[in-house]
Amino acid sequence: MSQYVARRLWHAALTLVGVSILVFVVLRVMPGDPAKMLLPEGAPQSAVEELDRQLGLHRPLAAQYLIFLHSVFRGDFGQSFQYRAPAARVVLDRVSATIDLTIAAMLLIIGVGVPIGLMAAVRHRTPYDYAGMVVAVLGQSLPNFWLGIMLILLFGVTMRWLPTSGFEGWRYLVLPSLTLAAYPTAFIARLTRSGMLEVLDQDFIRTARSKGLPGTTTVLRHALKNAIIPVLTVIGLQIGTLLSGAVITESVFAWPGIGKLIVDAIFSRDFPVVQTVLILSAATFVLVNLLADLLYTLVDPRIRYG
Amino acid sequence: MNTPKRAQRLSRRQFLATSGGLLGTALSLPSLAAVAGGAASRSGQIVAAVSERALTLDPADHYSISTTSMLRHVFDPLIDVTNDSRFVPALAESWEAQNDTTWRFTLRKGVTFHDGSPFNADSVVYTLRRVRDDSRLIKSFVYQDLDAIEPDGEHAVTVTSKRPFGSLPSHLTMLGILPAGAAGKEESFFQKPIGTGPFRLTEWTRGEKAELSANPDYWKPGVPKAEKVIFRFVPEVSTRAAGLRAGEFQVIDRVPPDMVQTLRASPGVRVMSGLGLEVQQWLFQLAKDPDKDLRLRQAISLGIDRDAIIKDLLLGFARPAVCPIPPGLVGHTDLGVKPHDPDRARALLKEAGYRGEPLDFVLMKDLYPKQLEVTQAVQAMLGEIGVVINIKNMEIATAREMRSAGRYDMFYSGWAHLPHDPDWYFGQWFTKSGAARLNRYNNPTVEQLIQEARVPDPKVRQRKYEDLQRILWNAEEPTIWPYYTVAIYGVRSNIRNYQARSDYYVLLSDVSTG
Repeated sequence: MSQYVARRLWHAALTLVGVSILVFVVLRVMPGDPAKMLLPEGAPQSAVEELDRQLGLHRPLAAQYLIFLHSVFRGDFGQSFQYRAPAARVVLDRVSATIDLTIAAMLLIIGVGVPIGLMAAVRHRTPYDYAGMVVAVLGQSLPNFWLGIMLILLFGVTMRWLPTSGFEGWRYLVLPSLTLAAYPTAFIARLTRSGMLEVLDQDFIRTARSKGLPGTTTVLRHALKNAIIPVLTVIGLQIGTLLSGAVITESVFAWPGIGKLIVDAIFSRDFPVVQTVLILSAATFVLVNLLADLLYTLVDPRIRYG
Repeated sequence: MNTPKRAQRLSRRQFLATSGGLLGTALSLPSLAAVAGGAASRSGQIVAAVSERALTLDPADHYSISTTSMLRHVFDPLIDVTNDSRFVPALAESWEAQNDTTWRFTLRKGVTFHDGSPFNADSVVYTLRRVRDDSRLIKSFVYQDLDAIEPDGEHAVTVTSKRPFGSLPSHLTMLGILPAGAAGKEESFFQKPIGTGPFRLTEWTRGEKAELSANPDYWKPGVPKAEKVIFRFVPEVSTRAAGLRAGEFQVIDRVPPDMVQTLRASPGVRVMSGLGLEVQQWLFQLAKDPDKDLRLRQAISLGIDRDAIIKDLLLGFARPAVCPIPPGLVGHTDLGVKPHDPDRARALLKEAGYRGEPLDFVLMKDLYPKQLEVTQAVQAMLGEIGVVINIKNMEIATAREMRSAGRYDMFYSGWAHLPHDPDWYFGQWFTKSGAARLNRYNNPTVEQLIQEARVPDPKVRQRKYEDLQRILWNAEEPTIWPYYTVAIYGVRSNIRNYQARSDYYVLLSDVSTG
């Protein structure tokens, strides 16, 4: 087991170096000059060249990468071009808002998605099933952008129950997390339902029922435990996605997270910020996946590593 | 809809500044100032949601309009500019050009920074030398022409330049003055910056929010009117509009024309607008075939129905251009709206020998409201006269790279004439060195006129700009300037004395909430 974890961690480190090289190179071969994006449109060429020099972009690519790598090991991700401040600080300032939103959305995804799926499977081909699936289809097909604006107009502008944008307390979390969770909740509900339907059909469930176990025990202890594995994988992937930021939700709700930050940074060619966010989110992704894989062993005793 | 700016109501501040103004007699009107005073009446909080993110607190290190707006409340510049582009005293009581390359500024006495330290010549000398000498600063390139910056006693500063710098006062409207004490420790200073402005910065979340509270010791009597001002940076326009309608924001900027109806129909919301300092410009790549042929450019200009675009797509929120410089600025003159004449356009195309080669019209994606629809309309109009337009809607940095490389026939762009002066624009787009990576314009006569227009004398400047615009507008048509844009704001109806600024600034020192 510990050998397995060590091997996975080694792979994770390799992945991160690969990601950093890829990000570094792609950013720099992409058309567009950071200095030109920083300066106003009519700035003279001499000013552009001077700023390029100040930003260290006049050096050869390999030299730039080595300087970058060297400072990353000292915890320095470079100076943001457009924020004129350390990139790591710019990113970390916004990480907590993203984490809060991720937690709120995850609570909705697990707390609403799994029960809907369970109910739909157990009450297969009843109005409960149909109602659950209508909600799921809606959740999967309403575009995020539209849903967010509709929620704002309804609960923010018309009813005035909830604030329309920003983040200054839990009330601000409600609408963005609903918007963000809509799609994955629906997805999880459908996944739970189909997994459960498959399992509920199997012999050992019939055995459990025939030996007189109560319905809830059969469903939760026997069936769900088997059906939940793919759901766990997807939830793990969702956490990764959510933690790397939700661009559309963040821009609709003016949410101070890292999703919008990275898109703005890409458009303005703020290389240090893009690098920091991508490397951090790659690291998160790799770790969360590793954790999800380890969780399987807890849920399913048949799965053993190493 | 195109409210002429002159017709807008003068604010009390403008009135005071006008009557006192350039003559430096504001202090001789104590009774009026006292009437305008009454600091006791200060109350309330105003939240403004603006379209760009303020990323820095350093007045010398950005050219963002939203950041300029926010920082204007914390720092005072030497000179302010009114909504009809007149330059009025701020920290400089008066200024004069002693000759073509020397400006002298007389400074206001008795002004203090937020920490109580005095404002004086040292502050100005430090601020100006810093922006000239520190080439990391975004505004540095503008001040490279400055030569000597010297104090002249405690309350005057003399600035000489390497060549005539008539636009210096206008640039200074965008440069907040720092305390000399910040020298050498800028990094920690900008963690919690202080200025002499009407508000102190109390809280700042980079790129999200700035909270300002009234400076009770502000040198201008009766200002500010509100106890607290909050700037929120909200790039998404539907979010700004929703916040305004919900009453969370009192002022929003950059309202697109097609949102005006919705806002007008919302209870408690007013729409305010005024002609902007911005002219749209559709460039030709002048070193490229067939764009270098004057007849082709004239034909394209004649093929475009500007009125239809303004009426149908911009819902009237624009005004056909009559010269490249927008109204209100030095050099504006009426050279007549460009006509729409498809028949003559077709004849010119025939003369030019144009045979349907497709022309690439490059756009910077999502930069200007309605730009894609406008370009599609232009494409259809030009299709009528037989010109084939190929629209390329590119991500901004890529589009600008294509422009540098000259890989375009037409390029959709706009120019906001900040800081209320056309020198920057012409110096960049219509000189050989500046235009080499833009539109490839090159005419020594025009370049000469641009040089001559750099003197401080506004009469000379006006004449030179009229001469050079006549060449551009009538003889060469190197660019199509279709219309001036209207600046539109949404304001809650309890907000008093708000001005819809032509320069897109959101200024709240004289604004009160009732």
